[in-house]
Amino acid sequence: MSMKTPRAFTRVAAGFAASIVVAGCSSSAGAPGQAAGASSGAGGSAGASKPLVVYTGATGDIQPIFNPYLPGSLGGGGMIFESLFFYNIVRNEAPRPRLGESFSWNDDGTELSITLRSGVNWSDGRPFTAKDVVFTLNMIAKYKALNNTGYRGKATATDDTHVVIKFDEPSFLDGPQILGRIWIVPEHKWKDFPDPTKEQLREAVGTGPYLVDDLKPQAFTLKANPGYRDGEPAVKKIRFPSLSGNQSGATALKAGQIDWQTGPVPDIANVEQSYPGYKLIITPLNQMVMDTCANADLGCKGPQTDPAVRQAMYYAVNRTQLNALAFENTSAEISPSMALVQRDQAVMSGRLQNKVAPMQPDPAKAQQILESAGYAKGADGIYAKDGKPVKLTLKTVAGWTDYITAADTLSQQLAKSGIKVTAQQLSYNEWAGARQRGDFQLMLDSLFQGPAADPFYVYSYFYSTDSTDKVGGAAGNNVSRFSDPEVDKALAELKKIDISDTAPRQPYFDTIQTRIEQAMPYIPLLTQGTINIYNAGKFTGWPAKEDLYAFPAAWQAPDASEIYLRLKPTGK
Amino acid sequence: MRYYLRKFGFYLAALWAAVTLNFFIPRMMPGDPVSILMAKLQQRGGSVNPEARRAYELLLGTDTGEPLARQYLSYLGNMLHGDFGISVSAYPVPVSEVIATSLPWTVVLVGIATVLSVLVGTGLGMLVGWRRGTWLDALVPATTVLAAVPYFWLALVLVAVLGSALGWFPLIGGYDVDFTPGWNLDFLGSAVHHGVLPALTIVISSVGGWLLGMRNMMVSTLSEDYVLTATAKGLPNRRVMIWYAARNAALPSIAGFAISLGFVVAGSIVTEQVFSYPGIGSKLLEAVQNNDYALMQGIFLVTTVAVLGANLVVDLLYSVIDPRTRAGANA
Repeated sequence: MSMKTPRAFTRVAAGFAASIVVAGCSSSAGAPGQAAGASSGAGGSAGASKPLVVYTGATGDIQPIFNPYLPGSLGGGGMIFESLFFYNIVRNEAPRPRLGESFSWNDDGTELSITLRSGVNWSDGRPFTAKDVVFTLNMIAKYKALNNTGYRGKATATDDTHVVIKFDEPSFLDGPQILGRIWIVPEHKWKDFPDPTKEQLREAVGTGPYLVDDLKPQAFTLKANPGYRDGEPAVKKIRFPSLSGNQSGATALKAGQIDWQTGPVPDIANVEQSYPGYKLIITPLNQMVMDTCANADLGCKGPQTDPAVRQAMYYAVNRTQLNALAFENTSAEISPSMALVQRDQAVMSGRLQNKVAPMQPDPAKAQQILESAGYAKGADGIYAKDGKPVKLTLKTVAGWTDYITAADTLSQQLAKSGIKVTAQQLSYNEWAGARQRGDFQLMLDSLFQGPAADPFYVYSYFYSTDSTDKVGGAAGNNVSRFSDPEVDKALAELKKIDISDTAPRQPYFDTIQTRIEQAMPYIPLLTQGTINIYNAGKFTGWPAKEDLYAFPAAWQAPDASEIYLRLKPTGK
Repeated sequence: MRYYLRKFGFYLAALWAAVTLNFFIPRMMPGDPVSILMAKLQQRGGSVNPEARRAYELLLGTDTGEPLARQYLSYLGNMLHGDFGISVSAYPVPVSEVIATSLPWTVVLVGIATVLSVLVGTGLGMLVGWRRGTWLDALVPATTVLAAVPYFWLALVLVAVLGSALGWFPLIGGYDVDFTPGWNLDFLGSAVHHGVLPALTIVISSVGGWLLGMRNMMVSTLSEDYVLTATAKGLPNRRVMIWYAARNAALPSIAGFAISLGFVVAGSIVTEQVFSYPGIGSKLLEAVQNNDYALMQGIFLVTTVAVLGANLVVDLLYSVIDPRTRAGANA
């Protein structure tokens, strides 16, 4: 239950709990003296405004880990430690400066020159210089276990505000990772650590807008950095409690103890009525798909290795119904090009058959695809070819109720088009293992985005031969085992072109998009909405649909820090 | 003396078997910590690029390439030194530190709740057995129903009524985060306040079993000749009930109590989940979900040692309160 992502699993339980809570609630006020919301001023700081309470999905005891390169790091990038620039992944716009001021590439993408801000200080008062940047880059190059951005350059400081990074090969597309996801640490503190991979960093000195205030096993609190270069942030304290999952998240939200939570709550359509003062924002980002083990050459077995079967399933799905039954209409349209429908409009190829996957089923088209590929309906109403019926198993995780509902809905929808899909529930660990080994026919899953608003990353993560392996081996992100030399070639060419140079990139995007629309190793279903509930009564400045200045999700770094920097308490 | 040596020998063998199983069982679980971490980060919408995967594999890598036999030997050695390794889910915090922060919460909460439940259940069972055939008999089905109600549901109802509607108790957590944990009144008061509701659910749901067991033993003890003799001698009813009947009837309950004391350390996973209580049960669940072998082994070991230890103590105590159990050794 405390699985960090039990979105779904706890949805039923949460609904249940909340309905009892509502039924037994005589007044709308929460219980007095409760954990997170109570600000009795025990610290003695009279007149201090209430902290912003954010639930990031943290469970269990909080351990004091502030090393930003470790997976369990608290606060996340952008809060205590900062990157050089901020890349917005939900809107196609220029990167915004953080510690950097500007950057430029040489023509062949092997040299990146960065100008840093001057006059920035570490929170202990020492000045921040280019030496700190070079120290950080050298450290992650030396300790491979910290290098979670794949940095392969050689950095030198030309003076206190200029850094040059040289690469052996064109590295335009590594730019967003290096500039946006590497957290700069102070040389004068870190140079003495014998092994930074084992450093918890209980005391953190950073350049960021927030400092560590207080840490307890049940919650940690960050306070505004009074010396922050752009002025002390308006939100003075941010508290991150740890709960036992979304169910207690819903309980705490109901009691007004949480100001911001990412994740579903019961009865999403009526959130603003059930939680007075709260507002909802749903941002479509992750693309929900059926993974297929698509490549017979790498050892996949079953009817789904035939592209015609995958295409037929694509047309047979009723996406409107799926969205309503399984996702409370929180999901959005998806493109078979796997570019994001709104964000990537400009790079979507004109040669696609469908720019957007049909929301209504097209059984005639599915039938025509299967029949022209040599399939014929058997006596049981199921298509078959060479005596082999189109019967498939769809694996989902036991407990994720929205995915389970989706799997049942899909199997009913596909049965109408003569494709038999049986849903099978596995434990989370089994499911993750089966996905990596290729031990599946179909799986409900989702594809995620890269460090910048560019579809290149989705293609490179999920469609490149580099990130797959034969069935039985441990694949990277490309679990479908899809492999197409033309896609690989286009990806290699894209790496040689600057992201801002749109015209020369388009032919390669055209190739990739049309190839994957035909092959369809991941059958597109819907773009999943990330649901946020936030207290608009207590704080203003939240991202809105019209102004998505950062991806709203409490656990997303460094986007969350951009949001904290813009929030203003209303004093209520 | 041979009796005690035999006991100790048996417990040592049991400990070795438990420690060995403890080593092998987690390794048979599907999945590995890095894949699970990756899948989890991804599920939460984070980008998990191939580079991050490689870095985390190096960081958390459990596949040392060592043969299993050698891993097992070094594991035994580490266990002897009390070195449980580093927790993968809270890297780089040592397992012993993770356990140390959560164990006291569970021991105090579940411990007090268990003791209360045994005392109340056994006491009531004694009364009900003594006055069998009166209206008190209704207590048996009443408490059994409470024990039979799914614990999860019972806890939620109590939360809804006492926590949410009446507002007497906080809904979640182990203490008010405004206070600093330590020996100060604010914090202790808040910890007690937060503990009442979870403890109450444990007592309510388990008291029925103790009551039923004690009442049945009482009834059969009351038909013994020595009770009849005591009554015939004209001893006061109270004395007969407590010192003749209850003292003998309580023997099975004491054995049961010992076993449940051991389980106190394992925590009450569901309780801790419902109330977001910071105890060892929620840690164990987390460890299993993250394939955190080191943490799982640490918690299992602590639990095993506690169960075996509690059993040993009661075994030894038993030979004091019930001399019949060591008759064989003395003969």
